[in-house]
Amino acid sequence: MGAFLVRRLIWLPILLFFISLITFALGLYGPGDPVQVMMGLHANPETIERLRHEYGFDQPFYVQYLRYIGNALQGNFGYSLVKYRDQPVGKLIADALPATIQLNLLAIGLGVLIGVPLGLLAGLNRDSWLDLLVRAFVIAGISFPIIFLNPVLTFIFSRRHDLILPAANLAVSVGPILPMVQGRWEGLLSAKIILPALIESTGVIAIMTRQMRAGIIEVMNEDFIRTARAKGLRERLVIFRHALRNALIPIATILGLMLGGLVAGSFLVENWFGVPGVGALTFDALSSRDYYVVMAMVLLIAVAYVVSNLIVDLTYGYLDPRIRKQ
Amino acid sequence: MGTLLEVKDLRTEFHTQDGIVHAVNGVSFHVDEGETLGLVGESGCGKSVSMLSVMRLIPMPPGKIASGSVLFQGRDLVKVDDEEIRSVRGNKIAMVFQDPMTSLNPVLTINTQISEALELHLGMTKEQARKRAVELLKMVGIPEAEGRIDDYPHQFSGGMRQRVMIAMALSCSPQLLIADEPTTALDVTIQAQITDIVKRLKRELGMAIIWITHDLGVIAGLADRINVMYAGFVIESASNKELFANPLHPYTLGLLGSIPRLDEAHKAKLTPIEGLPPDLIEMPKGCPFHDRCAYRTDKCANENPALELGAVRHQVACWNWQDVQKLRATIKR
Amino acid sequence: MTQTRSPAGIDLPHRARSPQRRVVGRLLRNPPALIGLGVVAAMILCAIFAPQLAPYAYDAQDLSIARQAPSPAHWFGTDDLGRDMLSRIIWGARSAVFVIVMVMIVNLGLGVPLGAAAGYFGGWVETVVMRAADILFAFPGLLFVFFIAATIKPAILTWAREAGWRDLANSGYLDYAVVIIALGVIGWAGLARMVRAQVLAVKEREYVIGAQAIGVPTWKIIARHILPNALAPVIVALSMGLGDIALSEGYLSFLGIGLQPPAPSWGNILSDNAGRYWRMFPQMIWMVWIPGLILAAVVFAFNFLGDGLNEALNPELVD
Repeated sequence: MGAFLVRRLIWLPILLFFISLITFALGLYGPGDPVQVMMGLHANPETIERLRHEYGFDQPFYVQYLRYIGNALQGNFGYSLVKYRDQPVGKLIADALPATIQLNLLAIGLGVLIGVPLGLLAGLNRDSWLDLLVRAFVIAGISFPIIFLNPVLTFIFSRRHDLILPAANLAVSVGPILPMVQGRWEGLLSAKIILPALIESTGVIAIMTRQMRAGIIEVMNEDFIRTARAKGLRERLVIFRHALRNALIPIATILGLMLGGLVAGSFLVENWFGVPGVGALTFDALSSRDYYVVMAMVLLIAVAYVVSNLIVDLTYGYLDPRIRKQ
Repeated sequence: MGTLLEVKDLRTEFHTQDGIVHAVNGVSFHVDEGETLGLVGESGCGKSVSMLSVMRLIPMPPGKIASGSVLFQGRDLVKVDDEEIRSVRGNKIAMVFQDPMTSLNPVLTINTQISEALELHLGMTKEQARKRAVELLKMVGIPEAEGRIDDYPHQFSGGMRQRVMIAMALSCSPQLLIADEPTTALDVTIQAQITDIVKRLKRELGMAIIWITHDLGVIAGLADRINVMYAGFVIESASNKELFANPLHPYTLGLLGSIPRLDEAHKAKLTPIEGLPPDLIEMPKGCPFHDRCAYRTDKCANENPALELGAVRHQVACWNWQDVQKLRATIKR
Repeated sequence: MTQTRSPAGIDLPHRARSPQRRVVGRLLRNPPALIGLGVVAAMILCAIFAPQLAPYAYDAQDLSIARQAPSPAHWFGTDDLGRDMLSRIIWGARSAVFVIVMVMIVNLGLGVPLGAAAGYFGGWVETVVMRAADILFAFPGLLFVFFIAATIKPAILTWAREAGWRDLANSGYLDYAVVIIALGVIGWAGLARMVRAQVLAVKEREYVIGAQAIGVPTWKIIARHILPNALAPVIVALSMGLGDIALSEGYLSFLGIGLQPPAPSWGNILSDNAGRYWRMFPQMIWMVWIPGLILAAVVFAFNFLGDGLNEALNPELVD
């Protein structure tokens, strides 16, 4: 375990070095020249040349790269070139993070609360109609494109529907049930967050359900479950004391890795619903080739991924006694 | 001594995508109180499945007990409700499984795993159960039992884990212990230790034992009586001495021929049985052993022989056991 | 191959029947997998026979019939420019199949040899390949695909112009190249990890050691003895991944980096209709749900197929 950790800790900066190198080469040094982006297509070539020199974009690759990294290590990730012109990227991201984290927390929470019991039920009643239903639901959860769910769910939930049945002389109006986000972001405790969180959670629910179902099926086939039954334990006890804990270990792992994804906004959802999070920020930046923002986001997400991996490895021992003493 | 367990015409099937696997095909036998019965056969012959059927531990679906009865203390275990079968499991009938590495729950302490049966069946409190668990660990020869009771299974070696399994099985003083190849997964030296522990505990506690094995060598020193199984049938049943002295079924002869014997090592070669066991989905019509049998006649391919008395307290299911006996007698001379 | 595990450790006899026939048999007895197979087959047929099947040209505009609801003349209605949606969707199948097949080839072509080499040779080869895969995994999935697509697109266009292929640069074909490169570069890492794990598991088997002992060349050992045994999980992962490729193509087009109209793609049909126009004409929800359901059905189909293959290749006792 100790040697493993040391290897991991040495690997971390190497990984970040490669990630930053690739992103830098593709984004800032490569074809998306920031000055060109900033000035637009019809700028005076002389002005562009002057600005390139001023910003140092005419210097060799390694000089530019080292300067970028040096600044980044001091918390300076450059400035937005387009939409939020001249605002520091670090501040833009810091301002956008709370909305994204709130949205993701709710989505993950919903995913666990719905997915784990659903997967458990399906796995325990394997091949029943319930299982088939849950499996279809899971596949639906990963199959419906977000760009489809966004307008369709918005249509269903945030519009007024008039049902008119002339025969019965009936006219009913339903909704809008949930508001669109528009306007100020009000955080976790507002109805605005429900629809985007629900759409973001479809993927989480699917992953959780699938893992839980597969996990419980695997564990229920283990020899020690037969041992527990041979003791005369009630099925409820067999499941909750002997099976569940074993089946939850991979769930905890996935959850840990998802926490790393907290800082990554879903740009399709955030953009559609107007959530002022990092996803929408990245979406704008990508569309307008505002690469300082994109680069910082890629780095942030990669660091979060690596760190959450490390945390998962560290805490694994508490969940699985087999690893604790090794 | 009275009869403790009586199994009559037990049939167990598994409904798989490829068809119905006929794992146990009308097995009948009994175990007396305090007796040790050996159950011998190749893997896949239905010996484990028949015992799991007795405990109703067959996964259902795909498994199914198609017919038969299992009489234990005046009750038919096939028919009693779930509540009642649970009161028998681990209490009156306990089981030790083959692989001690996978048969213990990796995330629960030894104490939890032994105590839960005591709390359930004997109504002990946590403290009482813990005390008893320590005694049980001492009984099966685990050193420093007090210090190890809160350890997890992975902290024990294979042999030690199997001792824990035995302690767990014996915790409620069962009348019948079913040992399903308890030594197969262990080193040879450890095998002997485990066998000795079971022998000693049987002397001390007096329970009946059904010992499942594919190894006639292991069972020779343990069992009072031996049942030989093949393709889901009991094909020969006799007392320990009788079976080794006077085997009547060609398959049993084959099994004996494949045991190395020190006293005739230079005379006879080891002779494996040719061929493979039959497909349990498409069972052959006649005797299940006929296409591997050196003594087969036309009748064998068409009719399946039932168990019949071949000698005193010695049953065999073979059309030609008398020829087998004669032929063997001439070879001996 | 895969270890058959019976429930509760009960030994069941091996069956002597051709394994290929059994896999196909199990697949054909699995209704969802059959449905998946049907949908995929339909998509491939649409792709092949798009010119014959489509009632109109995919880029024929007629503003006088813009945004019509489904009717006998236009089964799926018309879009904002009066183009027939059914025709665009049928042609879209061709784009989807082309992108999926090409990305699959790139993924396989990189992932299988790299993973096999890493598993078989170990040492520095393994270190380099697996660390590279780790790096790719650390990149945020979709964002990185977008990032690559967005950054290589101008490079490829410039390169094509400088090489004198002005026509090529102006046609939509380079868009396909961008999508395929972006998705292909990312997707191999997972496959390589999987193949490596399988190779490690098979490498120490007797028949491989036997082959080494009698001097069979290394590439032959890998190709003949190791890869076929590593195939099952790769097939499953691939068939599930194909749905993701179709989705990612849609998302790329949504961001304006993927296939550009008038080139037909389910992604750009959906993004056009769901993005700009739907906000203006929200009552025309069918403009969204028809292409959306078709894209979803294809992803569904690949997942069903993957699930079915998984169960057919890893048989357990199922009632």
